[in-house]
Amino acid sequence: MSLLRSMADGLRSLFRKEQVGQELDEELNDFLEMAVEEKMKRGIRRKDALRAVRLERGSLEVTKEVVRSANWESQVEACWQDLRFAVRVLRKNSGFAAVAILTLALGIGANTAIFSVVQGVLLAPLPYREPDRLVTVWLNNFRLKSPTDLSYRDFIDWEHDAPPFEKMSAYAWRSFDLSSPGNPEHLEGREISATFLSTLGVELALGREFSAEEDRNGGAPVSIISNGLWRDRFGGSTTALGKSIVLDGVETTVVGVLQPGFRFGTDYADIYIPIGQRKLVDANDRTVHDVACIARLKRGVSLSQADAQMNAIQENIDRLNPDTEQGLGAKILPAKELLVGDARSTLLLLLGAVGVVLLIACANVASLLLARSAGRAREFSIRAALGAGRGRIVRQLVTESVLLSVLGGVLGLAAAKWGLNAVLATLAADLPRSDNIHVNASVLFFALGVSIAVGFLFGLAPAHRSSRVDLQPSLQEGGRGSTGGHHRMQSGLVIVQIALTLVLLAGAGLLFRTIQHMWKADLGFESRHVLTFQVGLSPSATKTGAGVRAAYQQLLDRIRQIPGVQGAGIATEVPMTHQINSIPFWVDSHRPASVAEAPRTLGFITDPEFLQTMRIPLIRGRFISQQDTINSSLVAVIDSELARTYFPGKDPIGRTITFPQVGDYRIVGVVGHVQHWQVGFSSPFMQNQSYVSIYQVQDRWMTTIDTWTWVVVRTPLDVSIMLPEIREAVYRAASDQTVYHAQTMAEIVSESMSPQRFPLILLGSFASLALLLASIGIYGVISYSVTQRAHEIGIRMALGAEKRDVFRMVVVQGLSLAFAGLVIGVTAALVLTRLLLSFSHLLYGVGASDPATLASVSAVLIGVAILACYLPARRAMRVDPMVALRYE
Amino acid sequence: MADKPADLVQGSLYMPILTTLAPEPMHGYGIAVRLEQMRKGVFQLNAGSLFVAFQRLQRAGLIRSEWKATENSRRAKYYVPRDQGRNRLNTETREWGGQAAAIARILEAS
Repeated sequence: MSLLRSMADGLRSLFRKEQVGQELDEELNDFLEMAVEEKMKRGIRRKDALRAVRLERGSLEVTKEVVRSANWESQVEACWQDLRFAVRVLRKNSGFAAVAILTLALGIGANTAIFSVVQGVLLAPLPYREPDRLVTVWLNNFRLKSPTDLSYRDFIDWEHDAPPFEKMSAYAWRSFDLSSPGNPEHLEGREISATFLSTLGVELALGREFSAEEDRNGGAPVSIISNGLWRDRFGGSTTALGKSIVLDGVETTVVGVLQPGFRFGTDYADIYIPIGQRKLVDANDRTVHDVACIARLKRGVSLSQADAQMNAIQENIDRLNPDTEQGLGAKILPAKELLVGDARSTLLLLLGAVGVVLLIACANVASLLLARSAGRAREFSIRAALGAGRGRIVRQLVTESVLLSVLGGVLGLAAAKWGLNAVLATLAADLPRSDNIHVNASVLFFALGVSIAVGFLFGLAPAHRSSRVDLQPSLQEGGRGSTGGHHRMQSGLVIVQIALTLVLLAGAGLLFRTIQHMWKADLGFESRHVLTFQVGLSPSATKTGAGVRAAYQQLLDRIRQIPGVQGAGIATEVPMTHQINSIPFWVDSHRPASVAEAPRTLGFITDPEFLQTMRIPLIRGRFISQQDTINSSLVAVIDSELARTYFPGKDPIGRTITFPQVGDYRIVGVVGHVQHWQVGFSSPFMQNQSYVSIYQVQDRWMTTIDTWTWVVVRTPLDVSIMLPEIREAVYRAASDQTVYHAQTMAEIVSESMSPQRFPLILLGSFASLALLLASIGIYGVISYSVTQRAHEIGIRMALGAEKRDVFRMVVVQGLSLAFAGLVIGVTAALVLTRLLLSFSHLLYGVGASDPATLASVSAVLIGVAILACYLPARRAMRVDPMVALRYE
Repeated sequence: MADKPADLVQGSLYMPILTTLAPEPMHGYGIAVRLEQMRKGVFQLNAGSLFVAFQRLQRAGLIRSEWKATENSRRAKYYVPRDQGRNRLNTETREWGGQAAAIARILEAS
């Protein structure tokens, strides 16, 4: 109430200044007049009475000022005055203003761009109802010390045991060959529980979720499709509901259409079918862990409570199924963690780096302001002499700097919008939730807030210094003001800039070396000249195991006949595509009590030519051959890692390795280890690899194997020539087969480096920007000091100093700043680059304190520093002693 | 600063002004004279502090003002306490009384 009144009164006196002023005038006049009259009644003459009243009560003008300045509106008025004055000052110094605003725009722009990425990816809530209650639930394998997917049986048991969730849903990855309506196409999809969408709290655009009856074995074939597919195949018509689409040769009824843009996780899926309808073999096998679980916490249940409850439930399941489940717990993580993943640490790192760039920009502008305020010393002295308090002068200067920074911020916002588009155009694929990145209201607030904060940051120090004017000397004619202090401060700023730049350069340098090492790393196979793709086999071929075997034989024969093809093979995974087929195993007859406690290997189901096609070297024994068929004894090839770990110092050839549910395999060969994950980075588990023949796989697994099988083709010819030929061969084998996910192995390897490449590109650009700003900083300080010291240089030259000496003197001055910065910077870098290590395994083949990197970035900095000193040093050399001395 | 002997701390003027206004509306000079009488004329009130206090009290909604004719038929701005102002005065007086009594008891006990 009283706040409102105060606002209203204040506004009234701001906008009806005259009237309010008049009222106060009148009232005060009355007041003083009454006091005078009273004195006159006591017989004092009017003149003396007036004087006495002025002394006792204060003069009219001073009182008016006191009363007026006691209000908030007077502050507003003063700010407005300061602002108008600041605009005039900047317009008079438009060159200075332009440089400062541009510098700030670069700094603020880069920060705004990165913040909008952080905001969109990390801060913005997930696009589901009450996303904070959404969690993902995992099995926790104590032996592997890692959360893993679960089996569908586990999910059913969890659901049955009344967990701490309001709703929960299973989902699994699955792709489909859609053959009608329209052209055959391979599409990504999911198997989901009936409760999937309601767990997320997402509405359908059309139709309904699956019913509980549909979400079980034997239910009617139904599907929910994406909005995009609905527009594509049904022209966006509401009559699509109830129509059928043909998926992998099966007619399924469309019962629902999703909202446009709906996605769960990072990749799109076009087709959703009920997970309960999966084949009984898959649904009941507790060793097949291919299901993920999303759940909504009950209101008021905390993450740790839910975790404890789920572990109790899983403990019970373990007890009931000891031979598969013993050694498993449950693990609950916030859903956001799954959807954002590794990007978090990288983005925070980049935000830190770009903050450093802003600091450097601030140091530059502060340095400019210092140089300029030395020239304004007389102005401040006059103001101080006329009665301006120190606070008033500081306020005026800070108003100027905030005006600069806000103008810089506006320009920076435009730069950010432009820069963001550029960044997203090249790097969107490397980021989760990249479609969520916009310059929105919170980004605007951020930019504004940063601008104002930055204005204070770089404005306060110079203002503080300038306001400490000593009136006497600077008012005297020819006074130079207090430049010594300014210069020390400017030098300090340059040292800080160089130190910060070095840290950024070191970070970028380490990432650069990492990528260099990654390119040079031995992958265990030859990635050049290899083409990979997947084939959706004809539905008629996948009805029986024998059919699939024949289809692959025929397909590979046709591909091998294409001129230019040096080899072709198939495998259920190719390196660096993040595919995992994790299989428990044991050697000889050492079966552990529970399958969950068995060690795991990365299982590759291949044809006999895969290993040769990839040029994976044979170390001992033999490769899988054409003679190993469904009718002969089971054979396996293992990699050197598995041999080393489980057959230390012994010959594994002829020994037995057992894969539960599949069989006992005789080891016939040992091959080299392949970098299956990102180059140089190991998954915390499963480094072992083993290979078995696709032609020895039992029928019950064969019929779905094509959705996860890749074809690899070695050919020196270009993809653009080869791919049409391959498509042709695939269609000739069967016209309803699709070719998809075609990529060269080199592309896959390159993509696997994106976690390093993304920060490298950005950190590299920030470091270059920092280098540019720092070199401008050095140039500014040295150049300014040469101007100030012209007189001194003149005397030195008059006394016989050579031009060479003067040149050296100036360069040494600059270099001593640079060296001081280097020492601090290297120390800081040694501490800070450790962050790169602890953050997200960003470094490979290079230590955080790599001396070569630090040495080379230091060299770059010194080089730039010398360049920046060169121009002012030349100017110093040309100082004419006569001219310089005559100034005195 | 030593040459402004009786300059008042802002806060300490509010309650005296409210007390002064409690019986009847008064103009600025009247209030000043009454306050000086209350304080036995030890000091003269500075117009600046007084008028700042008026303004603050007005904005806090404790008093309001109106232009009226004075006893010697001149126009002057009179200050009138609002209900909120009277209530505040009562509470503060009561609290102050309580505190004073408490202090008195402590002093007697020692």
